[in-house]
Amino acid sequence: MILRRVQYEAARRVVGPVLASLDAWQRRLRRRRGRPRAGPFGPPLQSTRKLKELMAVHYYQGRFADGAVPVAWVTSGFPVEVLRPLGFHAVYPENHAAICGVQRLVPALSDAAEAEGFSRDLCSYARTDLGSVIAGRTPVGRLPRPDLLACCTNICQTVLYWYRALAERLGVPLVLVDTPYVYGREAKPHLLRYVRDQLEELVRVAERVSGRRTEPEALAEAARLAKVGTDLWGECLALGRHRPAPWTAIDGFFHMAPIVSLRGSEACNAYYRLLRDELADRVRRGVGGIRDERHRLLWDNLPIWFAVRELSTLFAERGFNFVCTSYTNAWAEAGSRIDPADPLGSAASAYTHVILNQDLPNRLGILRRLARDYAADGAVLHSDRSCKPYSIGQVDLKERLAAELGIRVLLLEADHSDPRAWAAEQGENRLTAFMEGFA
Amino acid sequence: MTPAAIGVDVGSTTCKAVAIDADGRILARAVEPLDPRIEPQVERLVAAVGGGAGPEVPLGATGYGRKRVKAGRAVTEITCHARGAYARTGRPGVLVDMGGQDTKVIRVGAAGEVLDFAMNDKCAAGTGRFLEVILGRLRVPFDEVGALAGGAAKAVTVSSTCTVFAESEVISLVAGGAPPDGIVKGLHQALASRVAALARAVASGAPEMFLSGGVALNAAMGAALRDALARPVRVVPEPQLVGALGAALCVLR
Amino acid sequence: MAVLPVHYPKELLTALGVLAVELWGPPGPPRGDAAGRLQPYVCALARNALAFLASGGADAVDGVLFPHTCDSIQGLATLAADFGGWSRPAFTFLHPRGPPRPSARAFLRAELRSLAAALEPLAGRSLTPAKLAWALELHAEIHAARAALLDQRPRVALSDPELYALLRRGEWLWPEEHLAELRAARAVMADRPAVQGVPILVSGYVPEPPAILEALGAVGAYVAADDYAAVGRRVVRPGAPGSAGPEEDPWDRLVARCWAAPPCPTRSADPGARAAHLVALAERSGARGVLLHVVKFCEPELFDVPAIRQAFAARGTPVLVLEGELEAELSAQAVTRIEAFVELVSAREAA
Repeated sequence: MILRRVQYEAARRVVGPVLASLDAWQRRLRRRRGRPRAGPFGPPLQSTRKLKELMAVHYYQGRFADGAVPVAWVTSGFPVEVLRPLGFHAVYPENHAAICGVQRLVPALSDAAEAEGFSRDLCSYARTDLGSVIAGRTPVGRLPRPDLLACCTNICQTVLYWYRALAERLGVPLVLVDTPYVYGREAKPHLLRYVRDQLEELVRVAERVSGRRTEPEALAEAARLAKVGTDLWGECLALGRHRPAPWTAIDGFFHMAPIVSLRGSEACNAYYRLLRDELADRVRRGVGGIRDERHRLLWDNLPIWFAVRELSTLFAERGFNFVCTSYTNAWAEAGSRIDPADPLGSAASAYTHVILNQDLPNRLGILRRLARDYAADGAVLHSDRSCKPYSIGQVDLKERLAAELGIRVLLLEADHSDPRAWAAEQGENRLTAFMEGFA
Repeated sequence: MTPAAIGVDVGSTTCKAVAIDADGRILARAVEPLDPRIEPQVERLVAAVGGGAGPEVPLGATGYGRKRVKAGRAVTEITCHARGAYARTGRPGVLVDMGGQDTKVIRVGAAGEVLDFAMNDKCAAGTGRFLEVILGRLRVPFDEVGALAGGAAKAVTVSSTCTVFAESEVISLVAGGAPPDGIVKGLHQALASRVAALARAVASGAPEMFLSGGVALNAAMGAALRDALARPVRVVPEPQLVGALGAALCVLR
Repeated sequence: MAVLPVHYPKELLTALGVLAVELWGPPGPPRGDAAGRLQPYVCALARNALAFLASGGADAVDGVLFPHTCDSIQGLATLAADFGGWSRPAFTFLHPRGPPRPSARAFLRAELRSLAAALEPLAGRSLTPAKLAWALELHAEIHAARAALLDQRPRVALSDPELYALLRRGEWLWPEEHLAELRAARAVMADRPAVQGVPILVSGYVPEPPAILEALGAVGAYVAADDYAAVGRRVVRPGAPGSAGPEEDPWDRLVARCWAAPPCPTRSADPGARAAHLVALAERSGARGVLLHVVKFCEPELFDVPAIRQAFAARGTPVLVLEGELEAELSAQAVTRIEAFVELVSAREAA
């Protein structure tokens, strides 16, 4: 136990600097070779180095987490700050599945889940994660075994089925935060009371699992850090309103990792201060995320992880930049509702009122606001085969956005991580034709 | 010699008939592309293999058109393929039957009975039809497929197994200058991975694997399946006739 | 009141004098153009329901109730009610997910109260505890009668299509009329088995198309035990929590009732618990094979398939997973699968 703890701490303290110096060395080498940076993108963000280091350390440290500290596997919309004061190391299977998606490992991992009878029509994140557990394979070296599975239904009901399958397979307790869907602008009082009651139940379960007690000050501090982090992430995104936008929303898909996985920690917030300052500096200097920004686009739904680079290049080459996405924005919305003076009550409200847990008029409102605030002249709605809550309604949203704002909107059918559901040729053809319409 | 039983397999692309003796040995066989007028075609093929045998010879019918064979007893392809393959190999195991419109994976027990089975879902991905469409696109005749894929230095990755998607993917690969033999090999790999996923759902443990159906005549498919499953896959002798043989065996007294 | 699947407090509607007419699709090709508003990878039930509502199919009713059920029906509710398709009153019912924790019980009670308050103006009357108690009693009787027909299936001298037609009329008849029909069927139950054939346990969402029952019958099989979400999975058997006890507070009974039916994934039941329930059903009914008839893209059902397959594999009972899309006709391939499955089960019996 003590040894594990030492390893766990050392992993963070030692590996970070090692990775940083390795990265610096690689850069020097590249510079010496003098390879010119061509392509349609602006100069790379310096912060990316720090991002890679932060996430690599997080995953590397994770290898030593079990046995050292309590480990929780959590959904991306889970109020993780409630677990922070108890010293939990949080692992995000969705983030892990996205890494598998980027590395195109999904077909192989999904096959392992399909062989056990999980249908290919199920969410590809769930198939990837279950497949990774079944096959014992992961691109991050090793995922620590959880002591607790923590699942919040505010992003979908799928996570409940997925985590139950994990709970059964791993023999680990599952704690559920059920956030009933909000029809209308604000959740009814009895609904919020229910979520709040569950958070109190969650604290008790987490205390039992971790063998520690929650100090009210620590809980308030975690809520404060989460609020600050959420607001900082919002500031980073908001800098994309400038013309040219200092980065691409596709960069945002990668830079969102800390706000998802490390929310409620000082490391997360320190990172976003760094990123914000760099973006603000780029705005001052007029440096864009792409070299020649002629059109600005909104992206809706999850990224297509396995084709993110190809697609953003396809767009950037023609002067199109994605300046905002409803997806990355989702982690910037909650800040205003979080209140360190009432950590549980405010978390209940913040985590219930999220984009996927609210009705379509609210969703349309968010898209409309983003398109206006970021001066988007077009939108791509990714119709994501794996994510029904995000995709249902997009046919209507497309019509309404186009009619109300007079912008071009494309519905693009793909999948967030399974390349077998993506027809590259047809997809790229459609995107090119869409861009030609802007001439 | 008067046969002891006759079996017909009215499939989605071909119609097959066999006549067998009392020991289950094949006496005569016939294969024709499917005719839309099923009844006269079945009569003709039965007459051809039956050598003038009368209605006293029992007739088993299988395949999608099995209920159109009036004089015969209808048994599903799944049961028939299991019986037929078991008769030809004498061993239990897992049989992959790849026909025109569907692919079946059948777990065959120690007496030739069906223990479990799985079939592809209703799209044509993973079937003979899928191969036919795309090979047609590439203008590769069916009997040259094995040699072409076998000679390929390296497979070109075809990620899509949806017939429509894969067809356009192949067109773009051709346009991009990828070698046809590599594409054909890649196509078989994509197909095999789809079938292997189906097979894994049925083939727990490490049973022997067999391949039957019209697609099995194509040597490249067996090779790709061997690679995808990482174990030997034996092609059942006369793979196209396995269903008809099983139908005859099912009615053999 | 048109009601979308699956679970809703029918007693509440009855107590308010509101007739529930359940909308299971309807099956077959969707009417009108609205089906195009949902992507092809969304389940046929949500798509058909949207098309049906948008084309005026439910114009005879005063309102629609959308239970939460799943991500797709939840999305359908806001799509139809907020973006066009259904312009008259829409109601929602959010059944809490997960086990009946204290927080969930308190929420369910408040949610039921909230639904009742929303329905009262439409019904033109207020809900009294006495009326609710009466409705609970009436439905308890209906449940008992349905349970008797299902649990003593071989003694019911009806074919599967006839039995299902009777049971499914409960989806739209006034409860009293349905109860009268059920009683009539119970009255003619034979003393000894009247149905013969290969006994099969069927689970899934909804027995559509009914040709699936005919296909089973054609090869000498019958439904010995039912766990369709639309049918057996909503039956509260006598003795289950909330099934009896008129002295109890009717709201408490209603809350208990909501959790009393067999395990269902749309109410977030544990897959292990569901598999155990199905195994018990199979044992009680003597079913020798299991047919899982799932709607394509239905996540709640599909996630349970591995656990169910595993549970029956351990007992050596064959399982067939058959996907459907509420089509009007059964495909030739589906018929082949059913026939081959019954051949397999029979051959195993013979050996």
